[in-house]
Amino acid sequence: MKAVWAGAIAVLAVSTALALAQQTPGNAWISAGTAGVLPAEPEFPTPTGRVGLLLSTGPVEMKGHPFFTPLGKNGRACVTCHQPAYGMSFSAEAARDLWKQTGGKDPLFAAIDGSNCPNLPQDQEKSHSLLLQRGLIRVFLPVPKNAEFTINVVGDPTGCNTSPIYGLNSPTPTVSVYRRPRMAANLKYVTGPAPRIVLKLGALADTDPATGRPVGMNFMADAREATLLTQARSAILGHGEAQSVTDEQLRKIVEFENQVYVAQIFDRSAGSLAEPGAPPTLGPAAMAAHRSGVLGDNDYDSVFLSFDAWKKGGDSAQEQFRASVARGADIFMFRQFWLRDVTHINSIGLGNPLKRTCATCHNHQMTGQDLSAGFVDLGTTNYPRWTEPPLYSDARDLPVFKITCKPEAQPHPYLGRVIYTSDPGRALISGRCADVGSIVMQQFRGLSARAPYFSNGSAKNIRELVDYYDRRFDMKLSETEKQDLINFLGVL
Amino acid sequence: MKLRVLAVLLLAQTVAAQQLNFVTCPVVRDTKTVPCFLAEYEGETYYLTVQQDISAEQYPPQLLHEVLVEGTIQAGPRVCGGIPLKPVKLSVLPEVKQGCNTILPAEPGIEAPPMRRPAGPSTRQPGAAPAAPPAPPVRPAPPFSEREWKVLYDFDSAFLFSRDTRTVSQAADYAVAAKAKRIEVEAHRGATLLSNGKVLVEAEAIAAQRAERVVALLKGLGADPASVNVRVVSAPPQPDGKSDPETRVVSIRVLP
Repeated sequence: MKAVWAGAIAVLAVSTALALAQQTPGNAWISAGTAGVLPAEPEFPTPTGRVGLLLSTGPVEMKGHPFFTPLGKNGRACVTCHQPAYGMSFSAEAARDLWKQTGGKDPLFAAIDGSNCPNLPQDQEKSHSLLLQRGLIRVFLPVPKNAEFTINVVGDPTGCNTSPIYGLNSPTPTVSVYRRPRMAANLKYVTGPAPRIVLKLGALADTDPATGRPVGMNFMADAREATLLTQARSAILGHGEAQSVTDEQLRKIVEFENQVYVAQIFDRSAGSLAEPGAPPTLGPAAMAAHRSGVLGDNDYDSVFLSFDAWKKGGDSAQEQFRASVARGADIFMFRQFWLRDVTHINSIGLGNPLKRTCATCHNHQMTGQDLSAGFVDLGTTNYPRWTEPPLYSDARDLPVFKITCKPEAQPHPYLGRVIYTSDPGRALISGRCADVGSIVMQQFRGLSARAPYFSNGSAKNIRELVDYYDRRFDMKLSETEKQDLINFLGVL
Repeated sequence: MKLRVLAVLLLAQTVAAQQLNFVTCPVVRDTKTVPCFLAEYEGETYYLTVQQDISAEQYPPQLLHEVLVEGTIQAGPRVCGGIPLKPVKLSVLPEVKQGCNTILPAEPGIEAPPMRRPAGPSTRQPGAAPAAPPAPPVRPAPPFSEREWKVLYDFDSAFLFSRDTRTVSQAADYAVAAKAKRIEVEAHRGATLLSNGKVLVEAEAIAAQRAERVVALLKGLGADPASVNVRVVSAPPQPDGKSDPETRVVSIRVLP
């Protein structure tokens, strides 16, 4: 009887998943307050195939569940920014579709942070340009009391940082930066391991306020929240503009998040990514089954395991694409280049430059994050290596801050004592000059579902992401190598 | 007898002459394996170190920064094209120096010395057994007696590198196991006599910064806060050009 019931649930789940998968990307949006069952293994279309979810504890009834239910006054729920169809984040394209469908009325576009600044006319598309073009949410933070620097606004296309109400000179001085929501999935990898001492800081890790235990400091761009629970509370009270949230609601949210696994499951060129014999890292089931905390920067138990199964190639287009993916995996692991001027990598004793590979930093098996607390200054937000147009360009849409380090402070290791940045990153939490532009790296799974990339949404597609690294580190990748890397990243 | 005295004096002069302390831009020399780090001083090229791993005791210098080299000339063949300095203490000076930016290409005949790991991911020799999980830390066991640990720093740095946090962790573990009645932390500001006669003195606040970080780590690792006593020595010592790296130090003395 139990088996029959289980089978019936499975059939229902599969049929629902297929129904969802047949929708276009723009139609798979789950609005806050939606009723219905999120099946255990839904699949959703992406520009290159399908992304798969695996809820390891089974289907979830969304009605009344605090992850899916608005808890605050603006109508948002966690799901607003962490959409199953978009790898538990969302894409800028999905945001644009949603704007069209709802006339900008969906809670995603809430004035508080779904617009460039709350004081802008909220019914106008241009007031939400950073969300619509880059998928960015406004994050507003005070300057830390212990800041080793002064901060001035040099460029303010959104008007928020010079606003007398919301800006740096307002009664509650605030810095507005704009960041992509991170994927709320595969979190056993992201929240662990949690060593007591953070290699990059030479100091103790932050601790869970409830237990006193160290935390991984790896799941937010600036690692400002210690745990999923404190993050959920902060997000509901902040992004959700709720007055309160109960412990039970928080418990249910964290419980849900901790059992969601996401990975690409089908690629139009590679075919099934979860079939028997496929590379063992692929698909959401692999994410659920594998253990976290494995250092993959080695040639025997690599970051994304073995792609040997696809190396042999063949005459068919599928075999050739799969061979390209396997070559991309090898480039990721073994293609050497000069890794230089990266705060919290080169500066922690490894030397500058360091002749290594992508896997040196992106070393956590299965996700490609850093096993150590992962904020580094790759350069995406700091002049001159930032991803942005020049200051004088009309195309510039992010703010620019001038950070001046105080004389007694340790300077930024590669930019010195005066730094121009569009996002000070970790420095807005730590107050340290050396942390300006340092941002926690993100996991590489389900990428196809959630463009654009980098914390500032500057890489519109994987090609632009690869191009940035090629320029940044003078990798001299050939066109074939770039395409191999793109194909590889796209199937993760 | 006179000859013996003269011999001793000559030896002393030779030893003194072998010590070199200077500040310069590091130079990176690529090789077919890992890069070497070199330095030029008074027309000669010196070999400093090779690219390492984070678990190494000697960390390489950094481009975009000058390096303070405090080393002893080692007899023997050149390494990576330079005269080896060993032992050598390398300090990455904190301010950015844009001119320190030289990477030399690999050249035939210039080889890196044996290294801990290659330039790519770490490797396991064919046929070798899988790496065993790290052994659990050994809990300090009685009898407990007074013990001391020293953390040595780069010039003008209070950062605790991986090797240093291991040292502080050992002290903290010992203090916890011994239920230490007193932990004495003494932090110093150093000075260095360069070979050209110039004296470098560390920033005035550096000793206090070092103490603050070590104490925070000790307490965070379980040492009884009430047992920790701190002494900050901000007056720089008279440098001698020989043992100056040892003046940039925090000592941790655990008294059961």
